[in-house]
Amino acid sequence: MNSSTVLRRTIVSAIQQRQLSASLLPRTLHTSTAVRAKSITELQDAPRKSVEEVGLGRVNREKEFPKIILDVKDDITSFNGVPKEHIHERTARIYVPARNTMQSATNNSRTWKLDFDVRERWENPLMGWSSSADPLSNLAVTFSSKEDAIQFAEKNGWNYFVEEPQPVWKFKPKSYGLNFSWDKKTRVSTK
Amino acid sequence: MSVKNQQHTQRSKEFSFDGFIGFVDRILIGQLKMLASIARMVIGKAAPALTRPITTTSSVLSSHIFVHRDTPQNNPDIPFDFSGENLKRVDAILAMFPEEHKKAAIIPLLDLAQRQHGWLPISAMHKVAEIVDSPRMRVYEVATFYTMFNRQPMGKHHIQVCTTTPCMLCGAEGVREHIKTKLGIKVGETTPDKMFTLSEVECLGACVNAPMIQVDDDFYEDLSLKDVDEILDAFKAGKRPKPGPRNGRTCSEPLTGLTSLTEEPKGPGFGLQAGL
Amino acid sequence: MIRPRGRMLNTVCSVAHHHFNPSSSLVLPTTTTRSLSLGQPLLQAAKQPPAVVPDNRVELFIDDKRVLCEPGTTVLQAAAMVGVEIPRFCYHDRLSIAGNCRMCLVEVEKSVKPVASCAMPVMKGMRVKTNSVATRKAREGVMEFLLMNHPLDCPICDQAGECDLQDQSMMFGNDRSRFTDIKFEGKRAVEDKNIGPLVKTIMTRCIHCTRCIRFASEVAGVDDLGTTGRGGDMQVGTYVEKLFASELSGNVIDLCPVGALTSKPYAFTARPWEIRKCETVDVMDALGSNIVVNTRGGEVMRVLPRPNEDVNEEWISDKTRFAYDGLKRQRLTLPMLKNAQGVLEPVDWEAALTGIAAKVSRVEGREIAALVGGLCDVESLVVLKDLLNRLGCETLCTEEAFPMNAAGTDVRSNYLLNTKITGVEEADLVILIGTNIRFEAPVLNARIRKAYLHNNLRVAVVGKKTDLHYEYDHVGDTIQALEQLANGEHKLSKDLAKAKKPMIIVGSSSLQDADGAAILANAIVLADKLKSGSSSGSSDHDWKVLNVLHRHAGQVGALDVGYTPGAGKIKELKPRVLYMLGADAGVVTRKDLAADAFVIYQGHHGDAGAEIADAVLPGAAYTEKSATYVNTEGRAQRANVAVTPPGMAREDWKILRALSEFIPGASLPYEKLEDVRHRMADIAPHLLRYGAVEEANYFKQSHALVHGSKRPSHSGRALAPPQTVLEDFYMTDSISRASRTMAKCIQAARHHKTTKYSVS
Repeated sequence: MNSSTVLRRTIVSAIQQRQLSASLLPRTLHTSTAVRAKSITELQDAPRKSVEEVGLGRVNREKEFPKIILDVKDDITSFNGVPKEHIHERTARIYVPARNTMQSATNNSRTWKLDFDVRERWENPLMGWSSSADPLSNLAVTFSSKEDAIQFAEKNGWNYFVEEPQPVWKFKPKSYGLNFSWDKKTRVSTK
Repeated sequence: MSVKNQQHTQRSKEFSFDGFIGFVDRILIGQLKMLASIARMVIGKAAPALTRPITTTSSVLSSHIFVHRDTPQNNPDIPFDFSGENLKRVDAILAMFPEEHKKAAIIPLLDLAQRQHGWLPISAMHKVAEIVDSPRMRVYEVATFYTMFNRQPMGKHHIQVCTTTPCMLCGAEGVREHIKTKLGIKVGETTPDKMFTLSEVECLGACVNAPMIQVDDDFYEDLSLKDVDEILDAFKAGKRPKPGPRNGRTCSEPLTGLTSLTEEPKGPGFGLQAGL
Repeated sequence: MIRPRGRMLNTVCSVAHHHFNPSSSLVLPTTTTRSLSLGQPLLQAAKQPPAVVPDNRVELFIDDKRVLCEPGTTVLQAAAMVGVEIPRFCYHDRLSIAGNCRMCLVEVEKSVKPVASCAMPVMKGMRVKTNSVATRKAREGVMEFLLMNHPLDCPICDQAGECDLQDQSMMFGNDRSRFTDIKFEGKRAVEDKNIGPLVKTIMTRCIHCTRCIRFASEVAGVDDLGTTGRGGDMQVGTYVEKLFASELSGNVIDLCPVGALTSKPYAFTARPWEIRKCETVDVMDALGSNIVVNTRGGEVMRVLPRPNEDVNEEWISDKTRFAYDGLKRQRLTLPMLKNAQGVLEPVDWEAALTGIAAKVSRVEGREIAALVGGLCDVESLVVLKDLLNRLGCETLCTEEAFPMNAAGTDVRSNYLLNTKITGVEEADLVILIGTNIRFEAPVLNARIRKAYLHNNLRVAVVGKKTDLHYEYDHVGDTIQALEQLANGEHKLSKDLAKAKKPMIIVGSSSLQDADGAAILANAIVLADKLKSGSSSGSSDHDWKVLNVLHRHAGQVGALDVGYTPGAGKIKELKPRVLYMLGADAGVVTRKDLAADAFVIYQGHHGDAGAEIADAVLPGAAYTEKSATYVNTEGRAQRANVAVTPPGMAREDWKILRALSEFIPGASLPYEKLEDVRHRMADIAPHLLRYGAVEEANYFKQSHALVHGSKRPSHSGRALAPPQTVLEDFYMTDSISRASRTMAKCIQAARHHKTTKYSVS
């Protein structure tokens, strides 16, 4: 199933991306530490475009730098230096975390998360902290969409499975007046 | 020269770096404070103060506890049942409410139980819960909410002294202290002969006849300390003194006679057209 | 300074809510949240011409976002529809509206006072401002009042870190209070209540939201909690000292927005921020409640529910929540073999597997039998079956029996909860046969109670009369009563036949002995009768009537992959080798086996099974393996690894796979868990369709088979489920039997019966 999935990847010039991000850096950061004629980035970087010029809007930018779409699957496993046993033997789990029932807020359950199968953990005998020999045990990445997470897992060569979020709670109108209803069953004697 | 200033000069003499900074800081802060006060003066009252006033009230808590503890006088093993006469009253009370709203009878039934028993033991609450077919907790809630349900053993007569503002201004505190010394008990206590229980209560709605006390169901109003003595002595002797004002009034009318509406009330037909 | 902060908040909220709009269909595209995030004026939506509203839905604006909702919806709910979360303490989606915390106050245009949004019904054209200056001021004021008497003991409070009051005071409160205790009188102090071994109370922290009271009275059906006293003296509690005698009591810990009700077993053991969460499923009953296992350093610290509308809503039973300490006691951590003296002796894996392989290879395949318990996952069941089948063994049984007359387990719809758990909310009649559903599936019982309260669900019970927390018609105690009902001769028959959407729930506990066949046959006949009666009306033709409620999480999975229910075949066979996979119910004893029988026990607890074993292989419990469980509805769910198995214990399928290597000619081709799952998909594809229910619909065939055969005879015994009182609920499997907390619960429940306050 995975092999048949061909990911379409958008390649935007790396230079352009770098320019954009560098020009958006807050300048005050540099000037506040010491008084210099020009900031370090300005001295070392190639001439840059102004924020207005670059950030005119997506439409203009895409006209200027057309997208090149390649039918290749991202794979960074050959050069990312991750040991083989942590690529082929790990299973990533992609899911939307459930709302913590201890609290009423739902903000924690709005993004997709990717984490890994659990390996052994133990208590450090010296301090009582929990220890692990698993470099991926603390890798919990957040994504705005399932597809992003899948792409990330595929790029890193991990097995993965996706757990779809639970069905949304079916909303039923209810009213304060029900507490005092004639129906003995729904009438609430306390508050 | 104040002690503070001396310290300043000493510090500046030493001229350590820290001391210098501290000195400068103080000057700066002083200036800032001044500026702020000037600004406040200029802006005037339009700018609200950044701090809020500190207010405090002493927390007033009830002298009763709102959990039940089994005691020899009050535990679920002591049986309670309505007397034969009261059982008829129970039926009459239940008849007032539709079957669906049977729980509405909790308050009148608790009152009935209290009248029968003198106070409200936990077994009585259980009995009421049984009668209205409701969980016991729902009855406990009602019994603890209303201050007129006494969940502890009471004396034969319950004296309630009103000490809310109008009564207090007319000497209710004196009345309370007088009763305390006369009976030798504090507020909330019962006399050793189980005759009287003294409570201090909020407004009983007889402000025009202040000061007043309530003994059992009756109001004794416009009291002097002598009246209090008489009333308590009468109760001690097993009599029931006549309720009402003690200063000669029949009701809440002015003591010096009517000051308005003094004329005879007009009869029916007053002011109507002759043709009618 | 305040103003831009508010704007920011608003914008951030709207962006965050964009992807996860719970009901995007209700929001018309007149206003897109994306445009808001780019900093365009917020009032854009208001300027749009109003679209035509075709139905009776009410149109209102929450923070200038247009919402259409049904009349009767509250402002708070309407806000939730567009992803605006209004802070609250007392309001809870699954409880009635109380409106007493006032935290949800919002400004409504043209309303002179702030409005409690949780209790305010929506009105046409309402303009609600959830983040205006007035709203924020109102919240700040409420927060100030709440904190007036709330202790500042967060550093020693178990709720700290996941406390609504803490979070909301950071978000909406002021950093100082006008209630300054300059007289040093201290804050209000309330004495703690003792409501049992599960829920710890620190009542001084209580903010009187009454969620626990409403939960107890509405969901749990135990009216034991309430408010006593009034004003500043009001306190939440039981008035008299008594146990909160509910099998769902732990849920009040979750509901409590502050640290007034916390978990007693978990007290002072971990902090929310040091905990790792693993979303998995529960095996303590056959519902497969969704849970989050909280772990720290390889140890399970607590279990919380995971909301799942289709299964457990938001509740879990006390056994699910608190039996986890059983996972740390009585565990098998080393492989063991009996030595020459007949004493189990720890050995290493190789020795254990070699020893077992030697014994197994010595006997013929048909002399081998397998017996599996109720907590087995599908993976290990499949691998065990494949292994033993390769050896020529066909006697693979489950401990839990099921009548095999007529269609038996050949027809899947015979042994599932076909209507599904959510079906209870549509049903108008539930007939419970031989089950004390309150203890066999407490969460399902809560749903029945919910339907009883809100949908006027009618319940009838065949079996022993017990307190189910709702009223029901008692049909009778005995099988005869059921027979009468099935034949339409009972006095309630006519009445019950009127039901449009009837459900019959047969408890698997009543199907364990010889009378099971008669009970199931009668239930099938009754189901067919009710079905034909109801479908003559205009009701749902796909409505299923017959349901079986299992007791064990692994049972449906075992039946799905082809295990034989009941140990009858084993007793007939008298096998020379018995492989017990988590079989702890003590169904088979040494007497049922050949004299020289070799018994292998593989499982996680030293319980009844390990006691009679010659070889013990330490397996993994449900929190320790990536596994599949099929719940009583036929819903496959995936359990994930929360912690690793202790000591030398390993995941069960791996043990079986390793064993296959030692037995000549039995080597299994599974290298990874994926391989096993591929095999599972070969057997039954639905086993991998996680979260979904694979429905079955062979009622007609099943009924025809029952109808065609002779109606099984029975002893006419009373239908008495094994669990009748609260103390029976807590220990039902090897995990809960090892749990100290469960033992304390039993003790408390027994003591409760002797007190004068046991009646509620």
